Amino acid sequence: MTMTAATLPVMPPALPGTLEIRNISKAFPNVQALTDVSLDVRPGEILAVMGENGAGKSTLLKIINGDYQQDAGTLSFDGQQISFSNPSQAHKAGIRVVYQEPEIVPGIDVAENIWMGELPKRFGMLDRGQLNKQVQQSLVEYGFENVLPIHHYGDELSSAQRQLVEIMRALKSGVRVLALDEPTSSLTDEEVDRLFALVRRLRDEGVALIYVSHRIKEILRLCDQIAILRDGRLVALQPASELTEDEIVRLMVGRKLSDVFQRQRAGTEREVLKVEGLRSNWHSGVSFHINAGEVVGFAGLIGAGRSELAKVIFGELPKSGGRILVNGQEVTIHRPDQAIVKGIGFAPEDRKREGLVLMRSVVENASMAIMRQVTRFHFVRNRLARSIATNYVEKLQVRTPSLDQEVGKLSGGNQQKVVLARWLAAKPKVLILDEPTRGIDVGTKAEIYRLIDALANEGLAIMFISSELSEILGLSDRIYVMQNGRFTGELSGADATEEAVLKLAMADHLSAAQTGIAAITQKDSSQ
Amino acid sequence: MSKEATIQPSTTTPAKRTNFVRRVIGAIGADNLSLLFALIVLIFLITLVSGWFGLEGGNKFFSWQNLMNSLAQAIVIVGLLAIGETVVIIAGALDISVGSIASIGSVVAASVLVGAGIFGALGTLTTGNVVIAVAAGIIAGMLAGVINGFIVTVLRVNPIIATLGTLAAFAGFAFLLAPDGKPVGVLTQPQFTWLAQGRLLINMSVPSLGGGKWTGIPVLTVILIIVAVLVHILMTYTDFGRAIYAIGGNATAARLAGINLNRVRVLMYVISGGIAGLAGVLLTARTTSGNPVNGVGLELQAITAVFLGGAATAGGKGTILGTFLAVILVGVLNNGMNLLGFNTFVQRVALGFLLIAAVAISQWRQARAEHVRTKIVAEN
Repeated sequence: MTMTAATLPVMPPALPGTLEIRNISKAFPNVQALTDVSLDVRPGEILAVMGENGAGKSTLLKIINGDYQQDAGTLSFDGQQISFSNPSQAHKAGIRVVYQEPEIVPGIDVAENIWMGELPKRFGMLDRGQLNKQVQQSLVEYGFENVLPIHHYGDELSSAQRQLVEIMRALKSGVRVLALDEPTSSLTDEEVDRLFALVRRLRDEGVALIYVSHRIKEILRLCDQIAILRDGRLVALQPASELTEDEIVRLMVGRKLSDVFQRQRAGTEREVLKVEGLRSNWHSGVSFHINAGEVVGFAGLIGAGRSELAKVIFGELPKSGGRILVNGQEVTIHRPDQAIVKGIGFAPEDRKREGLVLMRSVVENASMAIMRQVTRFHFVRNRLARSIATNYVEKLQVRTPSLDQEVGKLSGGNQQKVVLARWLAAKPKVLILDEPTRGIDVGTKAEIYRLIDALANEGLAIMFISSELSEILGLSDRIYVMQNGRFTGELSGADATEEAVLKLAMADHLSAAQTGIAAITQKDSSQ
Repeated sequence: MSKEATIQPSTTTPAKRTNFVRRVIGAIGADNLSLLFALIVLIFLITLVSGWFGLEGGNKFFSWQNLMNSLAQAIVIVGLLAIGETVVIIAGALDISVGSIASIGSVVAASVLVGAGIFGALGTLTTGNVVIAVAAGIIAGMLAGVINGFIVTVLRVNPIIATLGTLAAFAGFAFLLAPDGKPVGVLTQPQFTWLAQGRLLINMSVPSLGGGKWTGIPVLTVILIIVAVLVHILMTYTDFGRAIYAIGGNATAARLAGINLNRVRVLMYVISGGIAGLAGVLLTARTTSGNPVNGVGLELQAITAVFLGGAATAGGKGTILGTFLAVILVGVLNNGMNLLGFNTFVQRVALGFLLIAAVAISQWRQARAEHVRTKIVAEN
C-alpha cells in the first residue's frame, strides 16, 4: 500500500526559482528525525507537507529556514547549492518559514515590526510618515488593512496577526520560497479565506509555497501537491487531485504495530480516578475515569490540551469547575503537594524543565516526593532515604555511577527513570505519565513499556499521555481522544486503530460521516 | 608478575591515604578549597608586602591581639547577615532588606531593655532583662521576615523588588520605633554589653602569639560560630534544607515533586530576618546604643560575602561553610589593609573588585560544567 522512495515520480529538471531538497537526513541524539528526503518546491505551486506529530515536518522546515543544518543531503535554489547557518541568511536568499508563533517585538508597533532592520530614515531619524504610508499601502494591496491595524503594538497581536506580520515581512523582502507552518490553527473562517486568497495570489505571482497543516480538507482545497512524511521518511508525493482524505490518513499512519508492546490487559471495575465535567482555561467540560489496573491512553494532536489536563488534575494549573474523585471520594486539590497526599503522581512531559532538579543528586531527586516518610522531626533519615532510592534505582535499572551523581550528568533515558523512581517510591494510586518516552532511546523505551504494564498489573491506575500513536495503541486498555480541550471519542484498546484515533484527533477538520468509525464516541464529551 | 605482587601491599597505604584526602576534599567542597587557598595566599601576601616595605603591619597580623580583638570581632555582624542571606540566595531569591532589619532589631532590643519609646509600657516588667531584650530583637526581625515572605509569595512581587521596597520601609520604621528617632543608649546595662565585650575561655592556657597574650575568645565570635553551625545543620540535614536547594535548582520541578513553595519561601525569609534581628541586637551591644542607622549598608557586604562564598546567582548552589570562609577572607582583607595603612576607600575598591572577580570565576566554572554535561549527554 505504502509507496517507497523508488516508486516516487522522477523529478523533471528544475524550473528557475525551484527549491530542490535532495536526500536530506538529520539526526538528533536518540532520534533519526529525517531520512533521505527529496522534494521539489516549484514556483507557482503549493506543496502540502503532512505527517503525524514527530514525523519530521518541523525539522524539515527548520533546515530550510537555516535554524538547523542537515547531516547529509543538499539544498539547491535556482540551480545553485545553498547552505544557511542561520535564518537571516535564508531570508536574504528569499527563503522564509513562517512559524506558528513568529518572533514579534512586543514594544513596537506593527509597521515598525514589518520594516524592522530597514526602517526608512530622514535626517537620521525614523521617517514615520513614509513608514506608515508604505505599510498601509501593502496591507491594502493584500486585503489585510482591517485585520492588521498598523499602530497596534507587538504584544497586542493575536497569533494570527503575528503570522500576518511575518508574512508581510516576507513579502516586503521579495520572498521567493515561503513556507507556512500550521498557519490556520488559530484563525477564524473569514481569516482563513483571506489567507487562502493571499496564498493563491502568491502562487500566481510565481512564489514557491510550502504549506504544513493537519487539516486535510484545507489541504485538499488549497494545495497542488501533497508530500507525506512518516517517521522521517517521505512516503508519498502526489498531486492533491489524486488523493482522498482516507488515503491521506492511511499514508500518514502506515506502519503496522510492532511487537514491543505486550500488554496483558488487566483492568478491573474499581474506579480509582474519576473526573466529572472538568473546566479550566483549556478545557470545556471533560469527564473520564480510570480503573485500578488500567492503562488509559490520552491521544490527540499537540495543543489538544492533554498535558494541561494532567496539570489541572495535579493542581499545577487552576481549574474553574468540575469534580475530581479518588477512590470514590471527592478531593480538593489546589497545589501539587495536595495531589500527592491524595495518591496522585505526575511525571511531566519536559523532565529537564519540570521533572528534575538537574544540579542535585539522584537520591535527592528520587526521594523528593517522599520527604514526609523519610524525615523524623524534619531531619532527613539518610539511611532510609538511600535504601528506598536504591531499591527503585535497581528495580528500574538506572545506570548511574552512584546515588550521589548529579542527575544532570545522566543520559535522557536514565533521567526519565529517576523521575519514575521518585513516583514509584511515593506509591501513588494514580500515576500520570506525560510523554514518558519522549527523546529516549529505543531500548529504554521498551523497558518503560514493560514497566507500565507491570505497574498496571500491580493495580495502579495509569493515565498515559502520548503523541506516539503506536505507544497509545500498544499499551492502552482504553483510549480517550482529545481535541481543543474536549474529548472527541473514547475507544477500547482492542478495537482501536491508528486511523480511527487520528480521525478523532482531527475530527473538527473531517466531515462527520468519516468519524463514524469510532464506536463509543461522544459519551463523555456530551455531558 | 612478581613485581606487581610485591607492589601490591605497599600501595594499600597510599591508596588509603588518598581516599582519606579525597574524602576530606569532598567534605570541604572544591569551591571552598579554592577559598581556603585564596585565604592562604592573601595572608602570605600581607606578610610579604609588609616585609618588603618594612612595615610593622605584617608582624602584627599574627598576634592574639589582632586576631581576636580586631579580626574575629569585625566579621561577626556581616558574618551573621551573610549566613541568613546564604539560605535565601541558595533558594534563588534575594533579601536586600537585612541591613534595615538589623536596624529594627537594634532599636527594639535597646528599647525593650531600658523601657524606652513605645516599649516603655513593657518597661516595668522587662527592664534590664537581657534574655527578653535579645528575644525581642530576634522576634522583630522574624516579623519583618514574615512581611518579606508575604510580599514575595502572596503578592507575587519579585524578591529583589520586594526587599528593595522593604529595605527603605524597614529603615524608616526603625526610626519610627526609636523615641523621637534618636538612639537609645544601653551603656548602663553591663550584662547586655557583655555580649559584645565579653570573653570566653580566658583562663585557658594558650601560648602567646606575636607578642600578644591569650585573652579569650570574644562572645560575639562564639555566637557567630553557633549560628553558622545551626544553619549548616539546617541546610544539610533537614527537609527544609533539601527544599531550599531544590527550589533554587528548579522551582517548577520542586513544586511538581510536592514541595510547598510558599511555605518554604516564607520560612526562609523568617530565618534570614531572625538572624538579621540578632545581628541588630549585637550591634546595639557593641555600639552601646540602639541606633536606627546601625544596620545601614550592611546588606551589600553580606551579599558580597555570599557570592564570594560560591553561591550561584541563579540559585541551587552554595554552602554555609563557603560563606563563612568568604566572610573570613573579606575580614582578613580589610584587616590586612588596615594594618598596612591603606585607607577605607581603597578597601572598598578592593572589595568591589573582589566580588566581581568571584562571580566571574563562578560563571566561568558553571559554563565549563555545562559544557562537560552536554558532552556527556551527547556521548550517551
